[in-house]
Amino acid sequence: MARATVEQPPAVTGTTLVVAVGLGVAFLLFMAFLNVVKSGNLLNDSNLLYAALIFYSGAGTLYLAFGITGTPAYIRYASLATWAGLIANTGAVAHRWYEAGHPPFASIYEMLLMFVWTLAALTLIAEKKFKVKIIGTVTMPVAIVGVVLMQLLRTDVHPLMPALQSTWLHVHVTLAMLAYAACALSFALAMMFLIKDKMKTETFLAATSLFSVATYLGVLTRFEKWGGFSVIAWNPEEKSEVFLSRGVRLFVVIPDLGWLLLLVLAAVAAPLVLYLVWRKTQNRAFLNMANRAVFLSILLQVLAVVFFVLRARDGRYASLDADGLFPTSLAASPFILSGLVSGVFVSLLYLLLLWRRSDLERMLPTADELDRITYKTIAIAFPLLTLMIAAGAYWANRTWGSYWSWDPKETWAAITWLVYAGYLHMRITRGWRGRRAAYFAILGFAVVMFTFFGVTYLLPGMHAYA
Amino acid sequence: MAASVPRKIWQTLGAIKTGVILLILVVILSAAGTVILQRPATDADEMQRAYSPQVLRVLDALRLTDVFHSWWFVLLLSLVSLSIIAASVQRFPNAWRFFSRPCKSPDESFRNALPLHKLIPVKDEEAALSVADRVLKKAAFHPERIVRENSFSLFGERNRISELAVYIVHTSLLLILLGGNIDALFGWRGFLTLTRGEQSSQVKPQNGSARNLPFAVRCDGAGQENYADGSPKRWWSDLAVLKNGKVVLRKQIVVNEPLVYGGVRFYQASYGKTGKLDRLTLTATPRDGQSAKDLTIGLDETLPLDADTTLRLAEFIPDYVVSDGHVYARSNELENPAAHLVLESKKSGQSINVWLPPIPGLEQNESSPYTFEGKDVQMAYFTGLEVSHEPGQWAVWAGVLVMGFGLVVVFYLVHMRIWIAPVRDARGQLQLWIGGTANKNKDAFEHRFRELVEKIESELKISVEAGAEAPAAVLAGK
Repeated sequence: MARATVEQPPAVTGTTLVVAVGLGVAFLLFMAFLNVVKSGNLLNDSNLLYAALIFYSGAGTLYLAFGITGTPAYIRYASLATWAGLIANTGAVAHRWYEAGHPPFASIYEMLLMFVWTLAALTLIAEKKFKVKIIGTVTMPVAIVGVVLMQLLRTDVHPLMPALQSTWLHVHVTLAMLAYAACALSFALAMMFLIKDKMKTETFLAATSLFSVATYLGVLTRFEKWGGFSVIAWNPEEKSEVFLSRGVRLFVVIPDLGWLLLLVLAAVAAPLVLYLVWRKTQNRAFLNMANRAVFLSILLQVLAVVFFVLRARDGRYASLDADGLFPTSLAASPFILSGLVSGVFVSLLYLLLLWRRSDLERMLPTADELDRITYKTIAIAFPLLTLMIAAGAYWANRTWGSYWSWDPKETWAAITWLVYAGYLHMRITRGWRGRRAAYFAILGFAVVMFTFFGVTYLLPGMHAYA
Repeated sequence: MAASVPRKIWQTLGAIKTGVILLILVVILSAAGTVILQRPATDADEMQRAYSPQVLRVLDALRLTDVFHSWWFVLLLSLVSLSIIAASVQRFPNAWRFFSRPCKSPDESFRNALPLHKLIPVKDEEAALSVADRVLKKAAFHPERIVRENSFSLFGERNRISELAVYIVHTSLLLILLGGNIDALFGWRGFLTLTRGEQSSQVKPQNGSARNLPFAVRCDGAGQENYADGSPKRWWSDLAVLKNGKVVLRKQIVVNEPLVYGGVRFYQASYGKTGKLDRLTLTATPRDGQSAKDLTIGLDETLPLDADTTLRLAEFIPDYVVSDGHVYARSNELENPAAHLVLESKKSGQSINVWLPPIPGLEQNESSPYTFEGKDVQMAYFTGLEVSHEPGQWAVWAGVLVMGFGLVVVFYLVHMRIWIAPVRDARGQLQLWIGGTANKNKDAFEHRFRELVEKIESELKISVEAGAEAPAAVLAGK
């Protein structure tokens, strides 16, 4: 289907829309296939979240559909879908709150719940108040990845351990989610700015390919001998990862999956290589080939996601470190999955840009306006970040007797703060506007994402339960 | 030339480039500190497992295994502080001049240089200025009349403090760094373990020798409450502070709710079994047929059973195992307890060993004049208290509050200024010159400025009409 659209991209046809919506539905069925819909009470937070996922995906699909067909009406439906998703999401938060008896801020699952909620709310605000109509094209995929992650992370209500029973914790986490969502929005706005600022589509090609290559290189650090791919073992009874000793996880090797991922790495690297050849030779034929290669890489990336899910969803595999077969589950590899899914989204967004750039630009406010709104969102995010760190320090002081102990999460929160402080200094004293400010905003969001996810999973520390 | 070297250093320190380079260094080094395993938090074994000896030696030599306490990190943070101070001191006089002596009367060159201005033709200077005065007052611009030798004008402004906002934020940052430094130099952290009834004034620090407090802390009780699924819900300790033997403060502390006395804070940190006995309750039944009685006894305590016999609890093993005729403790859990009682007779001076349960080879239970039965065992629990003294934390919290205020001023308060002066154009026509400027958010200010000008225009029209009617009204009144 989409092959046809490559040959004649700008055609405004109903079929492309049908195909886009079909892709969305397929995605949802695929999610249902992951057994996310639970039986029992219809209105539990899992089902409400699933409803939110449907609406957010619908919104994301409609934003994409707008990109493909250029029909402004889809934007209206997309924002309606976002509203519906937000309502379902609110219901999920409320149910979770009711069920747990405390505000849902205790685990990474609950924090993601709040993050996605805030992101959807801010998207609607940006759309209505600042007239950035297609902001959802960037924020909705982020929200979808967030909800998918939540489906994989454990959802049982855990009683709060004593250290977490504090109002200050709730203040801290609420501020963190508000700040991070504002950062996500500033990132989306900076991207919009770069589009509107006539940044070359080829540069976006390089950036998106680089992102995909980096993602696959990161994922392939798990490549094992003879094409194996190692994932963390999962104990289905305890719903936790399997540990060999404190802090040492047990890995199992899925045979042959490594070859496929290696092949996909080659596929996502191809556009980058072709881009570099184009830069060298200035022969546009290479650029056209690169764009086709992106399209091909999306198909292969989808294939990689499907196979990864099929193989890592369940099943028992051998381990290099222990005898016997151990089960694994998608819940043990949320970051690999979200990395693969974001790879698909990023490439799709590039294709959207490639085919529909003029329509996108038409829907956006002026570059100056976008630059100013980006600054405004950071002006909201920065004080929130400051207060978030302060509330966390105050809580730590009441709980551990020390307001600052250089724990990795704390340190990275401070680094985030410093990066945005740098942005503000360059903007205010050096008059950085436009491109450079936008790059800085993008860097800031990358650091935020690392603080939020990377530190929790990659670096050891006190925030281990969060 | 020699004198200019310190000056040059001072200038370099205050430069924005220096500040940014220092901040980048802080970012890189603290990121390194989160990636490389850090010494006090990670134990030596784990370090050796994670790194090869050579690598570990290099990391240790470079202090990369304890980045945040290394001399170079402290030096770096001091340089950051110095750079903030230098930058603020160098720029502050200018800002202060701007703040304390604002340019209030717009002369010709000022009027020409200001990009945002408007001219409104008027008839009467005085009437026009009083109308403008009224409008500015309503918009909370606090207008004032500026009278110079050959001109008079109107000046109004809002949120002048916004000009100093950056200095407020920088001061708060210095306050936080100061507090952190005070704590690094004079603060300490330690640990105190107490069982019920125990008191202590000695705190075991994380490093170095024990620290004596000028008061003692006694634990009057400690406990744990669980959720239905068995995971802990709450730990608590009843603490009493004693000074010169007298209780001066009592408080129940829980996690998140410390006890503070004399600048020292006590936090509930851990709670657990000591593996030792608190109280053992027994039923003693005399073999001569007299009635049984219940006794409660602690370890090494001696109780009289009758006029002649005394009972002593010599040993208590919570989880015993017998091997080669000896009794060993397998664990500190109350799994398989054994008690060693000693009965002593005053008359004969004889002592009899009683074991509960009877342990062959050790017990002499048959020769005892009493039989014993265990009824209840209360194990001793300890409460672990984290103790800290952070004299600098008040500077930190003050800094946080000032920063919150400063950031609000930085981002949301805009210094807006408006000048209004009557001028004559080239043809001699009297006009009201209105100019304005804002230090940030200029587009929003422009909108506001236009609104103000429109307001003045429309009010001028009304007053002109009213002015035309006024004489008539006066006449009519007469």
